[in-house]
Amino acid sequence: MTSRATSDPALGPLRQALDGRWERDPQDYPVEGVTPRAAFAPEGRAEVAALLGAATGAGLVVVPQAGRTALALGAPLQAYDVALDLRGLSRVVEYVPDDLTVTVEAGMTLGALQAELGAHGQHLPIDPSPDDSVSIGGMLATARSGAWRGHFPAARDLVLGIEAAQPSGALVKSGGRVVKNVTGYDLHRMHTGALGAFGVIVEATFKVAPLPVSTRTMAARADSLADAARLAQRAWDASLSTRAITLLAPEPAAHVGLPSATAVLVDLAGSNASVERSAAELVALGAFQEAPPEAWAYLRRLQGEQAATVLRMGVPPSAIAEFIEAGRAAGALAWGHLASGAVICHADALDATVIAGLRAQAEARGGFLQVESAPVAVRRAVGAGGAGDGVLVAALRDRFDPSRILNRGRWPEPARAGGDA
Amino acid sequence: MATTSPPAQGRGTSSLVRDLRAALGPRNVLDAPEDLIAYEYDATIERALPDVVVFPGTTEQVAACVRIALAHDVPVVPRGSGTGLSGGAVPVRGGVLVVLTRMNRILEVHAGDRVAVVQPGVINLHLQEALAPLGLVYAPDPSSQRVCTIGGNIANNSGGPHTLAHGSTVNHVLALEVVLPDGRITRLGSRVPDAPGVDLRGLFVGSEGTLGIVTEATLRLVRQQPAVRTLLAIFETVEAASNAVSDTIRRGVIPVAMEMLDQEIIRIVEPRIQAGYPLDAGAALLIEVEGVAEGVALDAEVVEAACLAAGAREVRSAEEASERERLWEGRKAAIGAIGGAAPAFYLLDGVVPRTKLPQVMGRVLDLSREYGFRCANVFHAGDGNLHPNIMFDPTEPGATERVLALAEEIMRACVDAGGSITGEHGVGLEKRSYMEWVFNEQDLDAQRAVRDAFGGADRFNPCKMLPGGHGCASGHASEVSRRLQPGTYV
Repeated sequence: MTSRATSDPALGPLRQALDGRWERDPQDYPVEGVTPRAAFAPEGRAEVAALLGAATGAGLVVVPQAGRTALALGAPLQAYDVALDLRGLSRVVEYVPDDLTVTVEAGMTLGALQAELGAHGQHLPIDPSPDDSVSIGGMLATARSGAWRGHFPAARDLVLGIEAAQPSGALVKSGGRVVKNVTGYDLHRMHTGALGAFGVIVEATFKVAPLPVSTRTMAARADSLADAARLAQRAWDASLSTRAITLLAPEPAAHVGLPSATAVLVDLAGSNASVERSAAELVALGAFQEAPPEAWAYLRRLQGEQAATVLRMGVPPSAIAEFIEAGRAAGALAWGHLASGAVICHADALDATVIAGLRAQAEARGGFLQVESAPVAVRRAVGAGGAGDGVLVAALRDRFDPSRILNRGRWPEPARAGGDA
Repeated sequence: MATTSPPAQGRGTSSLVRDLRAALGPRNVLDAPEDLIAYEYDATIERALPDVVVFPGTTEQVAACVRIALAHDVPVVPRGSGTGLSGGAVPVRGGVLVVLTRMNRILEVHAGDRVAVVQPGVINLHLQEALAPLGLVYAPDPSSQRVCTIGGNIANNSGGPHTLAHGSTVNHVLALEVVLPDGRITRLGSRVPDAPGVDLRGLFVGSEGTLGIVTEATLRLVRQQPAVRTLLAIFETVEAASNAVSDTIRRGVIPVAMEMLDQEIIRIVEPRIQAGYPLDAGAALLIEVEGVAEGVALDAEVVEAACLAAGAREVRSAEEASERERLWEGRKAAIGAIGGAAPAFYLLDGVVPRTKLPQVMGRVLDLSREYGFRCANVFHAGDGNLHPNIMFDPTEPGATERVLALAEEIMRACVDAGGSITGEHGVGLEKRSYMEWVFNEQDLDAQRAVRDAFGGADRFNPCKMLPGGHGCASGHASEVSRRLQPGTYV
């Protein structure tokens, strides 16, 4: 424990609320170059709620974290007093394989969950970046998806219910453990993707799926991104057993072990018969060949690299080649997932004006740009990229986190609470 | 917390009507008693008269109606085709009933991007018919799809038989234009999925008209699959059929639909529809698999094996479109057929974990026998979504009260089994008081905070979904005394 942390009188209420054994060295929890005044790693949901209640009373800003894989996402923090380490909340609460549902604590890693599910031939069909070290809570709070999105549901569609610790100190549940449910407002959807704006997710229930019996990666070269887009669209329209159809500019293709040429990369998954038939249809459509499946893990890691500048654009599928080209022109490794319209740009560094230009282009097509990681100065300059209707979001936060103790700054509120605009 | 307003009846109606006529034109505003009567109910027979019914034709007109209602301090209740099954469109505290059926245009279909943009009054089936020639499908297919509107589907987060594979309406809504309770027009979500930010779209879908009125929806479409096969498995008992559902899924196959019909419903529907269900069957499962041809053949084999292992005496398989349609016709017409078999029936909607189906269905049948009512079951077994239909004669003294008591016990059994009080019909008026079985006071306070943040507290579709509320009846029985009529759907 640092002397600064132990002598800080503002921390008194937190220490009263929590057993001393949950306190950790704040030096281990830097975010954006800032070391918090204290760090706590409780192992129970009630303790998390108690900590938030005490932080609200003391006016201390809490930054929840577990896998620490997405701390450079969104606008920079405006304050950081307390690190809330959720890795201690790592239990499977209930798993009924025959119901295809599982309830887990939020600090569990996706990898640990997949191991539990895999033992029963099941999995959570999602592939967020950078890899399965993401925590369940972080995956939901960032609503991260990967190449499978559009073929499989997103995190927001797989979550059946959530328990969240509120800044008021309450624990609040929504949804349930059934796969179809319209009982009450879907607060779990409000929390998913909110970067902790309304509470800290402590438990979540998911709909899971059988593991595919067979998977296969196929790739085809194309002479141009426009040609690649046409081929990809034909593959998508053929309704094959695909779980990803990805267009790669030559540079990322070389990075993931393919020839340095524009490519369409397809991930097939399903029964042996469906995958065989789908592979045959791909070969009939274009010059598809077997490709190294490791390419997918490479792409996930690239997207999740926090030391780099990574952008995620969302554009209509029909515009995907154009935006990969735009990313490439900006000097980035650029690739895109057709079904979700996600275009990823990865570079050592990108200028804020370049990012703003790409965002304007994407927004003009009904899309968006999110900075998934970049230096603080760049993120401050370009902002979070749309938090939804600002008036409604502020009205919700006024009720769920009136003192803005959670992740203050991640969603800038122009007219109030610090004015990040 | 909430701003409260007194009930509206009999106050300021004439100047309200004058203002609405000025905004919408006289033809689009009804206030004659004989006209209002047509809008006092939905597919329930819960009744309450609105003060005035309006038919806006544009987003701006919807916003104008909402602002006028606000200025006159009267409630606003949105309504589509009025096929709702929880009383959600019943104007229990009067006010302005905003009927969206005039806003019924399909504004755009982009086949390459798999996106459609529609107005809220578009009928679900009309959209499907427009998409079919393009090889596209809007996945949510509630059995009322011939009449229900997309706006109503969004308000209720509607399901349907194919929810098992594709998920409910919320999974298929990309973006919404809505009029908020203060009359402001805003957009939620994005044409491209997974925009950064708070998912207000996801929060809004299923909010039962309490957070605002949808005036335009951007929908995600899916492609028709190359191969489809429909199987009909015949069982001696509901329990055996329920076990087949779990066993199929245990074998790693998730069909796109798994629908159960029990003996009571088969005996009602078969003589009327001739779908080919054996009259002596204890239960039937209607199962559909789709995808790549080779995969479908394999999945069908797995389904058949699971059904036979669970005790099916026969499994039929239909690949031809006409054969498949005949099998589905029986399912889709089932609820309507009950209307011809009993003076009245009460349709329930509950949901349980799939593995609890045998136990809960046993309890449903036992309870029905104890209470002395016939109970016909036709439901989404794959999702654990029950639909018991309790048949009764409302002219028999005390029958309605006993039906309600039975319904309450069945709902309780669903909750006790780890399930919930509604899988797809909504809470509406009908189940407000059951919310406390599922959520504690802190959970409900958080939901009230959402309603309050959107500005709809107590004035926008009042007395729906959340228990309590100013000027709302508190008891369940006082709110639910209803029967369903032929032409009601599940």
